[in-house]
Amino acid sequence: MWKATIRSLMAHKLRLILTGIAIVLGVGFVTGTLVLSDTLSATFNNLFRGITAGIDVQVRSPKTFSEQGNQGGGGTQHLPVPETVLSDVERIPGVAAATGEAVGSAILIDSKGKAIQPTGPPTLGFSFPDDPRLTSLRVKDGRRPRGPTEVAIDVYTANKYGFHVGDQVKVVANGPVQTYTLVATMRIGTADSLLGATVTAFDLPTAQKAFDLVGKYSDINVKSAGGVAATQLRDRINRALKPRYEAVTGSELAKENANDIQKGIGFITTFLLVFAGVALLVGTFLIVNTFNIIVAQRTRELALLRALGAQRRQVMASVVGEAMITGAFCSVVGVGFGVLTAIGLQGLFSAIGFKLPASGLVVQPNSIIVGLVVGFVVTLLSSLLPARRATRVAPIEALRDVAAPPATSARSRIIAGATTGVIGGVALAAGLLGSGISLVGTGALLIFLAVAFLAPLIAKPVAGLIGTPIARIYKLPGKLARENATRNPRRTAATAAALMIGLALVTLVSILAASAQVSTNRAIDRAFTADYIITTKQFGNFPATLADDLRKLPQLSAVTPFAFGQFKLDGSTKQLSSVDPREFAKLGNLKVVEGQLPADTDPAALLVDASEAKAKHWHAGTVVAAEFAKTGKVQLPVKAVYAKNQLIGKYLVTDATFRANFTQQFANIVLAKKAPGVSAQVARAAVDRVAANYPSVDVKDQTQLKADQRKQINQLLSVIFALLLFSIGIALIGVVNTLVLSIFERTRELGLLRAVGMTRRQIRKMIRWESVIIAVFGTLLGMAVGIGFGISLVSALHSQGITDLVIPFSYLLGYLVVAVLAGIVAAIWPARRAARLDILQAISTE
Amino acid sequence: MTAPVATSVAARATELVKVYGHGETAVQALDRVSVAFPHGQFSAIMGPSGSGKSTLMHCLAGLDSVTSGQVFIGDTDITKLHDNDLTLLRRDKVGFIFQAYNLVPTLNAIENITLPMAIAGRDPDQQWLDQIIDTMGLRDRLKHRPAELSGGQQQRVAAARALASRPDIIYADEPTGNLDSRSSAEILGFLHRSVRDLGQTIVMVTHDAVAAGYANRVIFLQDGRIVDELADPTAESVLDRMKAMGA
Ligand SMILES: Nc1ncnc2c1ncn2[C@@H]1O[C@H](COP(=O)(O)OP(=O)(O)OP(=O)(O)O)[C@@H](O)[C@H]1O
Ligand SMILES: [Mg+2]
Repeated sequence: MWKATIRSLMAHKLRLILTGIAIVLGVGFVTGTLVLSDTLSATFNNLFRGITAGIDVQVRSPKTFSEQGNQGGGGTQHLPVPETVLSDVERIPGVAAATGEAVGSAILIDSKGKAIQPTGPPTLGFSFPDDPRLTSLRVKDGRRPRGPTEVAIDVYTANKYGFHVGDQVKVVANGPVQTYTLVATMRIGTADSLLGATVTAFDLPTAQKAFDLVGKYSDINVKSAGGVAATQLRDRINRALKPRYEAVTGSELAKENANDIQKGIGFITTFLLVFAGVALLVGTFLIVNTFNIIVAQRTRELALLRALGAQRRQVMASVVGEAMITGAFCSVVGVGFGVLTAIGLQGLFSAIGFKLPASGLVVQPNSIIVGLVVGFVVTLLSSLLPARRATRVAPIEALRDVAAPPATSARSRIIAGATTGVIGGVALAAGLLGSGISLVGTGALLIFLAVAFLAPLIAKPVAGLIGTPIARIYKLPGKLARENATRNPRRTAATAAALMIGLALVTLVSILAASAQVSTNRAIDRAFTADYIITTKQFGNFPATLADDLRKLPQLSAVTPFAFGQFKLDGSTKQLSSVDPREFAKLGNLKVVEGQLPADTDPAALLVDASEAKAKHWHAGTVVAAEFAKTGKVQLPVKAVYAKNQLIGKYLVTDATFRANFTQQFANIVLAKKAPGVSAQVARAAVDRVAANYPSVDVKDQTQLKADQRKQINQLLSVIFALLLFSIGIALIGVVNTLVLSIFERTRELGLLRAVGMTRRQIRKMIRWESVIIAVFGTLLGMAVGIGFGISLVSALHSQGITDLVIPFSYLLGYLVVAVLAGIVAAIWPARRAARLDILQAISTE
Repeated sequence: MTAPVATSVAARATELVKVYGHGETAVQALDRVSVAFPHGQFSAIMGPSGSGKSTLMHCLAGLDSVTSGQVFIGDTDITKLHDNDLTLLRRDKVGFIFQAYNLVPTLNAIENITLPMAIAGRDPDQQWLDQIIDTMGLRDRLKHRPAELSGGQQQRVAAARALASRPDIIYADEPTGNLDSRSSAEILGFLHRSVRDLGQTIVMVTHDAVAAGYANRVIFLQDGRIVDELADPTAESVLDRMKAMGA
C-alpha cells in the first residue's frame, strides 16, 4: 500500500505542489511571525542591556498608577525624585558615584524647519552626566555638552539629517523652540543608533529645565564601589530609603524595560498570528477540497483495490499517508519560507523608521517546531474527512461507468450546518457582549464552518444565476462554464468557501472603517465647534507656551489648552480632561446643567457629566475625594455638572487644577475659535504665524481633522488588507487547484469539444468563466457573512463611539470587480493547460 | 484499383506516412497510403487490430499530424494548416462519431446534437434538424442528459450531431463497437440512408463484417498498407475476403 501511495504522489506532482503551496504559505506566515517576534525581543534585550550597562543601581520613586490617560499609558509610572535625595544616596556606604538624571522627549528640527518625528521610534532626550561611569552615552566626535546652550546628538541621526559638530541646532522640548550648539555626536554603548530613535543630550541643569524637572530628577543612577555587588548595594539603598524611594539593579532595570517592550511586541505577534491563523484556515479548506477531489478521481481505483480485497483501513491509510508525506515535506519548506518572511517583515519595520541592528535573525528551535507541527497536523487533520469518504467507496464502483463518490446527504448537511451555525452565532454574540475576544474568534470560525457546510446546497442555484448573464454574453463557452461550475456543487462550494473567509474579513473591516469614519465625522460635527485644533504627532511634546501665545491674537475669540489624564476615584481609574472651562464653552458645546463654570485659574475645581453625577448622587458643591499620582488624595469640590459631551468625557478639571496635580505641565492639544467678523483666511494666517515658532505642532481645521482621521483609518485598513491578501492568495491557489484537477477529470470531454471544432480560445474562455463564477460565488458568500459580522460588531461597538452603521456598497462592488479579475487571473494557467490538451490522447479509449 | 470517375472527392490522401516515436522504438503505423473518398459514398475501413485504421482516420480528419504525404479535405491540404484553421475546418466540414464518450455530459441531447453549430455561433437548419431527430427516433429524449440515455441512444445522438451540420464528410471509428446488434442495425441503417437519400459522405472504421455490409465499398488495411478493396460489399462477401486474406 505504501508503494501505491508514493507512486500516486509522484504521478501527481502538480497537485502536490498546489496543495503544498497552501501549507508552505500558512506555515511560513506562522514561523515568520514567531521568528520576527524572537528577533525583535533579542534586539531590544541587547539594546537595554547596552543602555543600562553603565548603571549598577538606579534609585527612583516607587510605582504609581499612570497619570497619562488616553495616550496609551493605562499602566504605571515613576514620578520624579527631588534633588535632595541625591545627597541621601551618596551618603550610603558602597556608593562610589551617583548622579541625577533628567529624561524626556526632545524633538530636533531639520534644516528646512520641520520637526524630525519618525513614525515608529521615539524622540528621546537625556541628561549627559559628568561622570562617564554613570552612563552608556559615549562621545564620538566633539565633547560633552556643558551649559545651557549645548547639545549632543546620536551619530545615526546626525548623519541622517546632516548635522555636524559646531552647527546650530533647534530643539523642542517642553517649551518653545530653543537653539543650541551641537558639540558632540554620541554613541549609545557601542551602537551608533538606538533603533532609529532620535537621541538628544544636554547637561543636567539644561535637561531639567527642558523637561519641566527643575529641582527634580527622573531618577538617580549609582555606581557601586569596588567589591560591593549591585544587589548588595540595592538592598542597602532600599533599607535606607524605602518606602519613599526604591532601588533596582541595572540588569533588573534592563529586564523591566525589555518586558515593557515585550508587551508591545506581544501585541504585534498576536495580531500577526491571527492573520497567520486565517491563512492556515483557508489553507485547510483548500487541502480538504483537494483531497476530496483526489478521492473522487481515485474512486474507481479505490473501488478496484477494495474489490481485490483491500481493507477499509488500508484505503484510509493510503489517503492519510499521502497527506502525511505532503504535510511533512511542505512544512519543512514552509519553515524555510517563514525565515524569508521574517526578513521581509523586518524590512517593513525599517521602512517605517526603526533602525534594527544587523544582528541577524533569531531562529529559536521553538519557532521551527511550532511551524512543523502546525503544518503537519493541519494537513493530517484536513485529510481525515476525505479519507473517511474514501473508505466508503464500495467495490461495485469499479464496475460503474460514471464513477460517483459517495455524497453526504442534504439532510445531514443541513443539520450539521445549522447546528454549527447556531453555536457559532451564540458564541459570537456572547463574545461581542463582553465575554472576550477569543469567544468572538471561535464564533466566527464556527460560522465560517457552518457556511462551508451549507454552501453546497446553494452552490447550484447561485452559481447558475451568476453564470446566466455569462452564458448569455459568451454563448456556448459561457454556457459550458456555467454547467461546469454547477455540475459538482460540493467542489464549487468548497473552493468558494476558502475565498469566502478572506472576503468576509475584508468586508467586515471595510464596514467597520466606513462606520468608524462616519461616526467620527459626526462626533466631530456634534461636539466640536472649534475652528482650529493644534496637535503634535507625539502627545508628549506640547509646547506649554503655545496656548498663551494664541490667546494674544485678536483674530481669535476663544482659545483653550486641552489635556487628558488619569486619576482615581474610590480606587478605580478614571479618565479626565482638562480645559479652560469658560473658553471651552465658547467653542466646544459645553452645556451647564447645574452650578457655574469656574475660572481657569481655580486650582481646585472638578466638573462632572450629568449622568455620572446622578449615578453618584453628586451635585454642585459636593466635595469629592480624588486621587492623583503626583499629589495623592485631594479634596475637590464639584463646581458644575454638564450635559454629555463626547470630547470631554465624564470628568473635567480646570487647567490650574490639572497643573497642580499632574507632573505633565503642558496640554495635549489646543483648541481655538475664530473671532466673529474675521475672515477664515486672516484668522488662519494669524494662527499659522504663531505656530511657525513651534515646528512640532500641526494646525488643522475641521476639514483637515476629518481628513486626518480618514487617513489614519485608511492606513490601518491597508495594513489589514495587506495581511489578508495572504489568505485570499491561498484561496485563489485553491481555485487554480480545483480548475486543474477538474480539467484533468474532463480530459476526454475537452478532447471531444476540440474534435468537433471548439477552438483553443473558446476552451480558454470556458475555463476562464468557470473560474470567475467560482470566484464571484465565493465573494458573494464572503460579503454576506462579512455584512453579518459587520452589523453585529458595529452594534456591539455602539458604546465605544461607533454610532453609525455604514455599509460601503461602492467598495463592495469594487471588490466584486476585483474578484472577477482575480478569477480571470486564476484561470490563466489552467485554461492554457486545457487548451493545450492533446486531442487524440483525450479521445482515445483507454 | 478503382478510381472514382465522375464524382468529386470529399477527402483524399496521397503517399500518407505516419511514424510513431523514433529510432529503435519507431512504429510505422501508415506506409505510403493513397486513398480517395468520393462524395456521396459510404466507405468502410477494415483490417486486423493494429493495422492502422484509427491512425488513418485521425490523419484524414486532421486530428493527428502526418509524418509525410498529403491529406485533402475538399480542395484544402490540411497538412499545411495551423491548429486554429484546422479546428475551424473540423467544425464546419467534418462530423465525428466515436466508439464511446461522444457526448458532453453537461449538455442535453438536443444541445449535443447542435453542438458544432453552437460552437460556431450559427443557427441550425430547423427543418433538417427535425428530420434527423425524427428519423433517429430521439424526439422524446431531447431534454435528457447523456447519463439518462442508453448506450444506443447515446450513439444515435452522436450520429445525429455528426449529420446535423451537414459536413462534407463524416468519420466514424467503430460507432457500433459497444452496441448490441439491434441498436447497431438502427445506426447503420440510418447512416446508409443518409448516404443513399441525402448524398452524405461517410468513412467508417469497423471490425464487423455485418457493419461493413452497409457500405458502398470496403478498404482493407494491413500493416499500414491498403491491401485490398471491395465494391458493393455484403456481410458474406466481406467475410469471404477476410478469410481469403488468411488472417
Ligand atoms: N500514440 C501512439 N504511439 C505509438 N504507437 C502508436 C500510437 N497510436 C497507435 N500506435 C501504433 O500504431 C499502430 C496502428 O494503430 P491503430 O490504433 O491505428 O490501429 P487500429 O487498426 O485502429 O487497431 P484497433 O483495431 O485495435 O483499434 C499500432 O501498432 C499501434 O501500436
Ligand atoms: Mg482503432
